[in-house]
Amino acid sequence: MQEKFARAHILLAQYLKRDWKKIIIWVLGLGLFSAGFVPAFEEIGKGQGLQGMYETMQNPAMISMVGPTPVETGASYTLGAMYAHEMLLFCGLFAMIIAALHVVSHTRKEEDLGLTELVRSFQVGRQANSLAVIAEVVMINILLALVIGGVMTSYGVDTISAEGSFLFGASIGMAGILGAVIALVMAQLMPTSTGATGSALGIVGLLYIFRAGTDVSNVDFSMLNPMGWTYLTYPFTDNNWVPLMMAVGFSLIAVIIAFMLEGGRDMGAGYLPEREGRESAKKSLLSVPGLFTRLNKSVMIGWLIAFVIMGAAYGSIYGDMQTFLESNELMSQMFTISGASIEESFTGTIMMVMIGLVSILPIAIVNKLFSEETRRHLSQLYATKVTRAQLYWTSVIMAIVAGIMGILLASSALGGTAISAMGDRSSMNMWDFLVAGYNFLPSVLFFTGLAALALGWAPRLGKAVYAYLGYSFALNYFGGILDLPEWFAKTAIQSWIPRMPVDPFDTITFITISVISVALMVMGHMGYGKRDMVEGA
Amino acid sequence: MTNIVEVQGLQKSFGKFKALHDVSFTVNAGEVVGFIGPNGAGKSTTIRTLLGIIHRDAGDAKIFGKDVWKDSLEIHKRISYVPGDVALWGSLTGGEIIDLFMKLHGSGDSNKRDYLIKRFELDPKKKAKGYSKGNRQKVGLIAALSVDSDLYIFDEPTSGLDPLMEAVFQDEVEKIKLAGKAILLSSHILSEVERLADKVVIIRQGKVVETGTLDELRHLTRSKVTMVTEGNVALMASVNGVHDFKHSGNQATFSADNECINDILAEAAKLGVRKFESVPPTLEDLFMRHYEV
Repeated sequence: MQEKFARAHILLAQYLKRDWKKIIIWVLGLGLFSAGFVPAFEEIGKGQGLQGMYETMQNPAMISMVGPTPVETGASYTLGAMYAHEMLLFCGLFAMIIAALHVVSHTRKEEDLGLTELVRSFQVGRQANSLAVIAEVVMINILLALVIGGVMTSYGVDTISAEGSFLFGASIGMAGILGAVIALVMAQLMPTSTGATGSALGIVGLLYIFRAGTDVSNVDFSMLNPMGWTYLTYPFTDNNWVPLMMAVGFSLIAVIIAFMLEGGRDMGAGYLPEREGRESAKKSLLSVPGLFTRLNKSVMIGWLIAFVIMGAAYGSIYGDMQTFLESNELMSQMFTISGASIEESFTGTIMMVMIGLVSILPIAIVNKLFSEETRRHLSQLYATKVTRAQLYWTSVIMAIVAGIMGILLASSALGGTAISAMGDRSSMNMWDFLVAGYNFLPSVLFFTGLAALALGWAPRLGKAVYAYLGYSFALNYFGGILDLPEWFAKTAIQSWIPRMPVDPFDTITFITISVISVALMVMGHMGYGKRDMVEGA
Repeated sequence: MTNIVEVQGLQKSFGKFKALHDVSFTVNAGEVVGFIGPNGAGKSTTIRTLLGIIHRDAGDAKIFGKDVWKDSLEIHKRISYVPGDVALWGSLTGGEIIDLFMKLHGSGDSNKRDYLIKRFELDPKKKAKGYSKGNRQKVGLIAALSVDSDLYIFDEPTSGLDPLMEAVFQDEVEKIKLAGKAILLSSHILSEVERLADKVVIIRQGKVVETGTLDELRHLTRSKVTMVTEGNVALMASVNGVHDFKHSGNQATFSADNECINDILAEAAKLGVRKFESVPPTLEDLFMRHYEV
């Protein structure tokens, strides 16, 4: 036993030394994200905000996303109760994912890279590495729990007690440990690091989906779900520490199983066979568009699903819109326009926000071509009869198509859930939502055009397009509150476009921005055809 | 013989750094040209210029008599290229990538592909992220050798391959050479160049410092001679064309100017030769001569 774990403490010290920057970002980033929104929630909670939020959050769609609350009346829905209800599950989910990625990167990944082989050649026990990694992750998550508890207590809010704060932190830390042990088990079973990462995240995803189902139908069943043991502690309300005990027990058993599995396998091998790929390519791959579709497939599917979820999430609040917005001065300032129904004015603003997010995908697709270039994936393609114009326009057109699909999915998901949430009271039909969404198409084209221009002339600036998108997004989102001067607001491209359905459609602006965007793409094409390809570096 | 590649006074700068000062050489049909030089000498930059991946600042570069930048597509229909560090898409399998490259090149032979996969012992069903450096290199080589081209450009093609696979590569290159194709082979592995190349171009700090057939280059340099005589071997030290003379007893070793070999032999004969060995310089000797300070 001793021998198996020999020198684990040296490896642990080594990991802490190697990872200290990552640990600081991890603990502070996730810690502040988890604990830092208290002032924002205080803002939301002003006036009738808590009551309104309580009504909104009773919606099954919301429960399936953020989990349940033990509170049974709007009156006892305190700031603390709301914070734990809306934040805990998501923060725990992040903690799980980060810890799982970290564990795989220090176990299976190091085996794949051949680092383990080197380490094992010294007087290091066969399982010392796994022990060191788990010890590291546990330490990080305890630190994380303390940081979250400390920060939240420091606000001195009545309903956010010290006990609740530290339970909130401990639940997130425990979620991280659960993610880590799941990953450690998968790292033994899977034959490659990507397989281990994929399956660990897949399990986390499945646990999340299962709990969505049981949370809505019967919360007791969620207590059978390891993920349930994190957010069902109900900090600030029930303050129940028991689920955490169950999580500790589960983690111990999982670690023991992982060690047994590791003891029984060869280094670099797994229990499940490696999945064989195709010996020859399918016809659909054998062209530039086919290749690019394949390369962008997972990013596209991921974002398109995110757009649907985003649309559905916003759509689900249409049912209680009145209570939700009127309860809060800040919210009503952001989302209401005088002289229009509250649902319509909300649609105009939220559409601008959503289509801003949709623009991320086309930018990513255009930027992908440059990252392919620097990674030298295209070296051998340049020497074929594939033209630069083909590479460029395939990327740009694929980006445009992805943007169009993104708008379709986001606005129809918003419309679909909104119409069903509003029931008979609905003053808008599906068509209104789609039109309001496609009204912002020129802004998506504009961001695509900027990315394309950068790709052609100064490809390293491709990332800066995200910065401009973020800037425009912030300006649009908070523009309503800040009362900005006209010219300043207009530095965001979306501000030029009227917000339908409240404002009427503006054909001239629509066409002008679209034409400018296409012109940017053509200019990018000229640069791309002329410049030196950047390889390596 | 027709010139397949013709490079004249090529220059290229990256910002302030002048990567190519003056590069000139030719490659003919049915000829393997070894392009040698240390890392950073400008081999890959020259090749990228030839492929139209980067612009040249000055000079002339033609393949099949066409400008490498303006007519690059016309040229690319008839060339194959393998970079020194083949980077592949991790999520595709080796087999898929080979098929893709063949398809995008346009004139692939799937029998040749299967034959080469077998010869190079590549597992085409594995995802590329699982390949070692050598296996990635094999993917690039198989893709390039499976298509029918008139010019093959290899940039350090065998880096990461084991000696058996290196031999397979050399074998395949000899076949395409016999088929009358032109080959530009940039390499560190001098024994490989020595075996394959008809002509050698040595590049140093962006300048071509030596061009010619191996025989021609050898002629310019010295052979290593070991001899044993009956008479006093020390007398050889003063013969014209003898350098670095060392002796112990009746045995002497020295380097000899190749053009003076006849005089040296005549002098040696007077002393009564018991043993005379002359070793021509290896490519490594030639190469090192340009880099010794």
